[in-house]
Amino acid sequence: MTRTGHSRAGDGPSHDERSSAVWARATDGFNRWTAGDPAGLDDLVAVMTPVLWHVVRAYRLSDSAAEDVIQNTWLALVRRRAAILDPVAVGGWLTTTARREAWRTAGAKTTPTPVEDDDLEHVLPQQRSAEESVVQHDDGDRLWAAVDGLPERCRRLLRIVAFENRPDYRELATELGMPVGSIGPTRGRCLAKLRVALIEAGEV
Amino acid sequence: MSELSREALLEIVRGVWERHDPMPDHLVATMQAAAAVADSDLDLELMELVERSTELAGARGSTSYTLRFVHGDTDLLLRVAVDNGSSRVDGWIVPAEPMTIRALPGEDPADVEAVTTESGRFSLTGLPVGLMRLRLEPHDAGRPAFATPTFEI
Repeated sequence: MTRTGHSRAGDGPSHDERSSAVWARATDGFNRWTAGDPAGLDDLVAVMTPVLWHVVRAYRLSDSAAEDVIQNTWLALVRRRAAILDPVAVGGWLTTTARREAWRTAGAKTTPTPVEDDDLEHVLPQQRSAEESVVQHDDGDRLWAAVDGLPERCRRLLRIVAFENRPDYRELATELGMPVGSIGPTRGRCLAKLRVALIEAGEV
Repeated sequence: MSELSREALLEIVRGVWERHDPMPDHLVATMQAAAAVADSDLDLELMELVERSTELAGARGSTSYTLRFVHGDTDLLLRVAVDNGSSRVDGWIVPAEPMTIRALPGEDPADVEAVTTESGRFSLTGLPVGLMRLRLEPHDAGRPAFATPTFEI
């Protein structure tokens, strides 16, 4: 149960360790694929699709719209793999491509009516294993309440930052409608808000 | 308790979203199939459709028609039959050559394949109805695989 280690003393892999492992596996899969091993592509897809899901869903796309964006991202990779000169950059290339596409898709909606989270919550699948729901019920609900209670901009920014390796702040700023250069400080403020919310919830 | 580090906070954010908006179970497999098909299409030469018979309607909703594709010196004749939702493709490759014929249905990654007989014939049964293409893989390793364009069953 390394996942429950988050709010306690640091057992389990840290965010940075996890993401560097993810990125290393992505690079390894990419290298094997371009060397002619189709299983390398399978591994690359397996390790990066979950990351792409969370990055894309931060743009409030429906399940099917998110899937389309992710599929287009993979098709783009296959067709343009020659454009990826540095295998280490493949993870970043994928998340950037997915974010651009997600942003375009989200912006293409004629009326940008923000969906209330209450509405969204009913739609979202709430899958938990039986084991998880026993162990994490109270804990998880309080953590969710803390994250969910953040301002929309913080929720979105932190979700992207949590799942991506090193997002391009310049692009993020454009997409989130924020001044370039304000992402870093905003992220700091958002993390501070989350810290306070967790303390108030008795999680720290 | 100690002050939460940036890493610990991001870990919480990650865990929360993984529980509250998990990736659909099927997504990785679907994306692997889509990527693999796109990948194998890249260097895949397409056969050319040269003939298509009009549909021959049979009794009780069964239909069949024939298609003829050409690629280089290889001729591929297909008879596509649908009978009450189940479908089959009978094929004949001229000149006869050992090949594995693989069905690439549009979305369903079901793996339906057959090997040609000595006379160059093969059949694929239990195919899903919908868009479909066939990938032909000569057993002669010196010959690259090729594929039919998409057709509909």
